[in-house]
Amino acid sequence: MNNVPKLSLKRLLLANPWGFIIPVVTGMAATLAGVALLGLSGWFISAAGLATAMGVGMVFNYLTPGAIVRGLSILRTAGRYGEQVTAHNHLFGLLRILRLWVWDQRVAKDAANLHEQSRGDLLQRLVNDLDQIIRWPLVVFLPWIYALSAYLAVSIFAYFITPVLLWPIAIAALLQILVVPYVCGRFASHAVHVGLILGVHRRSRFVSLFSALITLTIRGHWKDYAQRLGELDERQRRMEIRIQQAISLGRLLSYGVTILLIASSFFLLSERNPETNHWTLIAGVQGTWVVGYVLSLLAVNELVLPLVQSFVAQGQSQVGLRRLNQLHQDAQAQPEGKIDRIQQMVFKHWRGFHASSGMGNTAIDLSANLGDTLWLRGASGSGKSTLLAAIAGDCLSSGEAIINNEKCDLYSNQNYQAQLSYLPQSPYIFQQSIAANLYLGNPNASDEQLWAVLDAVCLADWVKSLPNGLETLLSSQGRNLSGGQRKRLALARLLLREAPVLLLDEPFDGLDKATIERICHSLQNDYKPDILILVSHVGSRIGDNARVIEL
Amino acid sequence: MTREKGTQKARRPSRIKTPEAVFLGQLANQQASKYRMAQGFGVLFSVSLVLQAWALANVFSDMALHQSVSLSLLVVGLFALLIRALANFGRERICTSASRDIRYGLRRQLVSHLTNLGPARLRIEEDAALSTRVYEQVDALDDFFSRYKPQVFMVTLIPCVILLSVVSISWITFFVFMLTAPLVIVFMIFVGHKAAQANRRQFNVLAMLSNQFMDLSQGLAELKRLNRTKEARERLSDSATAYQKTTMGVLVLAFLSTATLELFASLSIAMIALYLGLGLLEILPWQTGSSPVTLTQAMFLLLLAPEFYLPLRQLGNDYHAKQKAEAAATDLLEILEAPAHAISSQEQNLPVAASDAKLLGQRGSIRFDNLSWHDAGRYRLAPITANINAGERIWLSGESGVGKSSLLHLLLGFEEDYQGQLLVNDNPFQEINLAAWRAKLAWLPQTPEWVNGSIRRNLLLGIETPSEETLQAALIESQCDAFIQPLPAGLDTKLTELGAGLSGGQMQRLSIARALLSNADIWLLDEPCSGLDKETAQAVLATLKRVSKGKTLLIVSHDTHPILWADKHWALTKGGLHEQRTQAIA
Repeated sequence: MNNVPKLSLKRLLLANPWGFIIPVVTGMAATLAGVALLGLSGWFISAAGLATAMGVGMVFNYLTPGAIVRGLSILRTAGRYGEQVTAHNHLFGLLRILRLWVWDQRVAKDAANLHEQSRGDLLQRLVNDLDQIIRWPLVVFLPWIYALSAYLAVSIFAYFITPVLLWPIAIAALLQILVVPYVCGRFASHAVHVGLILGVHRRSRFVSLFSALITLTIRGHWKDYAQRLGELDERQRRMEIRIQQAISLGRLLSYGVTILLIASSFFLLSERNPETNHWTLIAGVQGTWVVGYVLSLLAVNELVLPLVQSFVAQGQSQVGLRRLNQLHQDAQAQPEGKIDRIQQMVFKHWRGFHASSGMGNTAIDLSANLGDTLWLRGASGSGKSTLLAAIAGDCLSSGEAIINNEKCDLYSNQNYQAQLSYLPQSPYIFQQSIAANLYLGNPNASDEQLWAVLDAVCLADWVKSLPNGLETLLSSQGRNLSGGQRKRLALARLLLREAPVLLLDEPFDGLDKATIERICHSLQNDYKPDILILVSHVGSRIGDNARVIEL
Repeated sequence: MTREKGTQKARRPSRIKTPEAVFLGQLANQQASKYRMAQGFGVLFSVSLVLQAWALANVFSDMALHQSVSLSLLVVGLFALLIRALANFGRERICTSASRDIRYGLRRQLVSHLTNLGPARLRIEEDAALSTRVYEQVDALDDFFSRYKPQVFMVTLIPCVILLSVVSISWITFFVFMLTAPLVIVFMIFVGHKAAQANRRQFNVLAMLSNQFMDLSQGLAELKRLNRTKEARERLSDSATAYQKTTMGVLVLAFLSTATLELFASLSIAMIALYLGLGLLEILPWQTGSSPVTLTQAMFLLLLAPEFYLPLRQLGNDYHAKQKAEAAATDLLEILEAPAHAISSQEQNLPVAASDAKLLGQRGSIRFDNLSWHDAGRYRLAPITANINAGERIWLSGESGVGKSSLLHLLLGFEEDYQGQLLVNDNPFQEINLAAWRAKLAWLPQTPEWVNGSIRRNLLLGIETPSEETLQAALIESQCDAFIQPLPAGLDTKLTELGAGLSGGQMQRLSIARALLSNADIWLLDEPCSGLDKETAQAVLATLKRVSKGKTLLIVSHDTHPILWADKHWALTKGGLHEQRTQAIA
């Protein structure tokens, strides 16, 4: 796996530049058509009125502007449609990229810390944070580009009326496109950030409280805790109010800027006649053009209003991005050197332990050669399972491991793990069909091989009895299987791999004698591994013939 | 127009007044006064809209015809624009505040209802999913209450105001508006349905995608061991691509309907503009040589035309807010409609009777007299009659689903819809003080209940801090000291929902220590060993046997984990309760 860099908004924009240019262009066309539509109709009507007043109505070319007005309205609709479709297509592409990015980070994480994130937390990041991020181009970037281009178009128009108008326009554009949204964004950003963190906090407290609900109620303590949950909610509410205030105020300011812009434009375009005390347009300025100009300013106003909200959304996207980047994981360096088929494993002063609690087995010396079967025994809590997991390279360890006469770092070593099959105490069954679960062991297995291995773990009859046979879909985490079935299915999957080393943690728990006998038979004949290490508190034929190691 | 709207409104309730709509309506009514105020702002908004159009139209026509600017009219126009902005500001603030009040109130209500539901809440969903309902789903109502609901009023108000102000000026414009408005509305309903379908399907597929991701992610350790992470990545990529394709297929259609709607609006604006232009040029085919409108009037109409369609289009955009809210309401109603035992009210209404004092002093004996629990047409618990004497230890076994847990939940006081009698010290259960009763209970479920915090805090939850000796004694008795001592932080080690590296057996031992510390004399245990392997289970049961002497004990356990030291063994079946012989090896 290559090293995947961190996420940034820039990377998101450049993820699929061509897919992004189409919505930008169509959206811009639609925006400009919308502004021009209002401006042009204003000019058209006032010009028509003027032409009639001047008595030249009959020769006024009304066909071209009429056609343009209709054309613009069609262009606006079509452009808006094209923008929506292409932008959403782009958005779904982003969703795919981001999901795979999260997956890559998960894969890069080492085995012991894999479950650092609780299920709820990961789901929150996967759904909510991704949502905040992918809408960034749609909610933040595009409206900003549209507002900018609309202002540019109006400035060109204004330049032809009289260049002096560019001043107020430039100031207003600066205020509406940058200053007001930025200030509001800054004002709200703290609240956005705190709000998101509070949200996560609140949820975990909710889950934690409700999982202890009965104890809390019978101890009469529920009220205190519920009150604290309420306080979190109250704080969240204050953040929400702050954000909302920023948006509303920003809109009001934006409106104010438009009003001032129109007022100052009129001030620049007209002069006071001291005798009649009337304001008239300065020489060289067409009244009809000014009408179009003011109308297009009103259209631009509608475009800049959403910008305030978009800067708040920008804050949300950034928080989402930051949270997602917390998942970022640098790919670990894999130990070099291929490991040949394992012939011998020697462990010196070997101890497996859990990172969080430091608990594990007491250090022991251990060795296994080709053809060996080992049975690890010990009282509950002696660390048998931890030891086995450490041998499997799934768990942290101290001491020395010598594989095929060479010192070797086992933890998360893929080359090493390719050589062994490890059945943990609670193996995972995927929410796929039985066949798909088995193919994970060997993607090229034939149907005969599948049935044979199912037979080897005494599941063939059960699978045959299912209406859909091998294609039966298993429910989430194999919940429609009994514990014993789940374990045997996972064992069947491992046996398909035909790895030289087989590590089994309590494979016989909850199975009857006949089934244990059948599995032992398979493990000693058709599916016999080179080295077998077993943890079990149940006696079995394999155990009887094994070298016993007491912990 | 008005009448038409009226009939439509009248027809609607009979047609689609779903429980969700009723529920949302009731919630909105809580804030009726705020919404009325918002409507007031709405009226101000639409009046200033017309005023602004009128003033600017005059300014424009003066400018076009005479090159002059009427300062007073310009000021009126800009002032109207300002009023409009202010009205919008006020309306927005009031609506968002109404939405907030509704949502945060609803959330409080949900949390307290879930509390009252107790273990019954798990019949609805697991806790993590419930938290999504309480937080995300409630927030999903925001757009509905802050935007859609007030917009419904605006969508009737603004077109009516505009029609009224237009009717005296131009009949033709009036008719164009009148004719296109219903079309737009019909289209909008159509679009709404399409968009709702698209939304729902998209939501389902998205949930499926998340589910797939979570499934693969949960089994990632397994995938890594099998060296199949690349295949899983391909699977994720393929399904995301497939999702993109199908969703785009639906969206293309949904957007097309929106586009048609927009086109309608734009074309009718263009039509009006053209009509006005030709009219001003006096070359309308049926009216050559005279103009139906003056330039001022034409400008006025042109300024109002986009405003006429704008609220309709906004409502179209916000329509999905309604769909979203209704989908969320379905989930929320499921919680609120689950019948709950109103604990708090009972606690408040019943004064602490003399019998409560007696109850507290006495050791509890419990009697079931033909007790059953009939719910939704089936027995959760078949009628049983039995006695638990003080100090008796009883093993309750039976297949899953016969009501073992239900019986415990009854005793915990979370259900009150039972039939028959449940007597505590010969007092009917309804009459005893629930808080006092509960204080006598210890609860040890399958997965021990922990709050985030140190081991110490969890052990002492809700009881007075005992002396350090008592604490140590309880730890030794429950055999916790053996694993707590080696912990670097000892009793101050943090426990999280993940258990901080303690094994299932160790967690159960901590529960036992907690039960000991609480001095409760009635212990209720719900399959305390089912998650443990045989060896550990045996060890935990042995501890339980030792420490629970003299306590009244009701322990639910499968036959795979027999409680051989119990005084009585009850087997619960669909037919009732049968006492088994026990070989009490006390």
